[in-house]
Amino acid sequence: MVITSVDVIQSIIDGILYGSIYALIGVGFTLIFGAMQKLNMAYAASSIAGAYCGLGISAVLSLNLLVTFFLGPLVGGLIGILVYLVCFRFIPSREHLGSLMASIGALFLIDEIIVHETDGSPLNFPELGIFSEAYFLVGEFGFRGDLIFVLIVSLLAMTSIILMLYRTKYGLAARAVSQQMNAAILCGINPHKVNASTFFLAGVLGGLAGCLAAAAVGVISPLLILPLTIKGLIATVIGGLGSIKGAIIAGLLLGGFESLFLLVRGVNERDIYVFLLLFLFLVFKPNGMFGSIIDRD
Amino acid sequence: MTVLSIKNVSKRFGGVLAVDDLDLTVDKGEIVGLIGPNGSGKSTTINLICGVFPMDKGSIKLFDNDLKGLARYERSHLGIARTYQNIRLFGGLTVWQNVWIATRQNGIGSFAKKLGALFLRSQKSVEAVDELLDLFALQNKANIAAENLSFGEQRRLELARALASEPKLLLLDEPAAGMNSEEVQELRDRIFKVRDLGISVLLVEHVMELVMNVTDRINVLNFGKKIAEGKPNAIQGNALVQEAYFGS
Repeated sequence: MVITSVDVIQSIIDGILYGSIYALIGVGFTLIFGAMQKLNMAYAASSIAGAYCGLGISAVLSLNLLVTFFLGPLVGGLIGILVYLVCFRFIPSREHLGSLMASIGALFLIDEIIVHETDGSPLNFPELGIFSEAYFLVGEFGFRGDLIFVLIVSLLAMTSIILMLYRTKYGLAARAVSQQMNAAILCGINPHKVNASTFFLAGVLGGLAGCLAAAAVGVISPLLILPLTIKGLIATVIGGLGSIKGAIIAGLLLGGFESLFLLVRGVNERDIYVFLLLFLFLVFKPNGMFGSIIDRD
Repeated sequence: MTVLSIKNVSKRFGGVLAVDDLDLTVDKGEIVGLIGPNGSGKSTTINLICGVFPMDKGSIKLFDNDLKGLARYERSHLGIARTYQNIRLFGGLTVWQNVWIATRQNGIGSFAKKLGALFLRSQKSVEAVDELLDLFALQNKANIAAENLSFGEQRRLELARALASEPKLLLLDEPAAGMNSEEVQELRDRIFKVRDLGISVLLVEHVMELVMNVTDRINVLNFGKKIAEGKPNAIQGNALVQEAYFGS
């Protein structure tokens, strides 16, 4: 097969559109990292679990797709609070490894629960109605309607999160806790409540990402967990730990990059190049694109 | 009326008795000094009042509320505010935001109101912040990130933020450290203004120029024990105090 420049650009476009899901997951990791200086490894798992629950509840009550997209994020947020309570709330903050290991445990637990409940087989996820059939041609390039839907919803969600962080008192409190926990407590802020809210918000983003990923692929399966975990983390690291802007841009670029190498090198080798990209960043720009050197007293 | 009453409070760190059977009171509208050589237990006392760590025995009361077992933010809600020896501001937030974050919506209203307060700037809190920034001459720096302020401005901002939570009792931990004589004068005037707002002050300080000129009453600690209490001029002449500071 001869790969033309049109093919290359087309695959990058598809990838960037799909990359908005990585951006969402990356933003979620970043939110939690910003709040607690810790990684929540169970994040992508709870995102997929949120989407599963949304799908399940909608199926049992025979509600329509719109409700799934509402329930998925909601349950994702609730699972986020549960993960916070189990893995972060009561483990002393100086025990960095403790919370990390606990959240890895939660990752496997959630994964196992899904596998047992579904017998490990993927479920069909409803397609996005008119969006799935839409296809826009601009010159020689095509834009898949469902992926445009994914991009728009992701951007809306991320914009709302940024507005919340920078324009509301909750956001100020969250930033205050992450900058100076002790002083924030003195200002009467309950840090546990703020952190739980952050986990909820991140979980809502995750549940949304889970629904979008499942809708774009057409099926939902526990096999989505690992790639979302890894690529979300890569987007977080490449964008710069703690930088929301970085996670968004890195997520989109990662999607494009991945799709390009899928075209050029095939599905078996694709992830090798994704990891090489991470490797290059870690060697030459370990703070990522927008990361500042983390400095706290 | 007694705002703060500390009774028989002790705190031990390993082999060191940091605070030993301490009694201390602060009355309404009073400025009380807490002095003593390094390691005499002043900062430990402040930390016990704020709830940084639990005390071993004794009781601390704010008005009639026993503080035992309350978390630090709950003590803040009851009306205790403090400043730190080394300034702790939210460096990435603006001056205005640093103060606003500490404001409180008093008179808890409906859930909708609370939710609204989370997202919107209530008129009352905006006015309170502007007043405080005026009082501390920070109004023209309102939109600057706190980390870009000068040292003196940061100290003022920390004080403004502490007042934003509408405290009944303000704990000042060495606010004059590193200040020149002129700045100490300004600080003294500000502490008087704080008192005029009806707030009681407990001042831990090494700078005698400030302590002697601003306080109504001074408590002297040495090795965790109170060795003297009285008016500033009485303390100055106290033989025990001179021995604690200069050795005999």
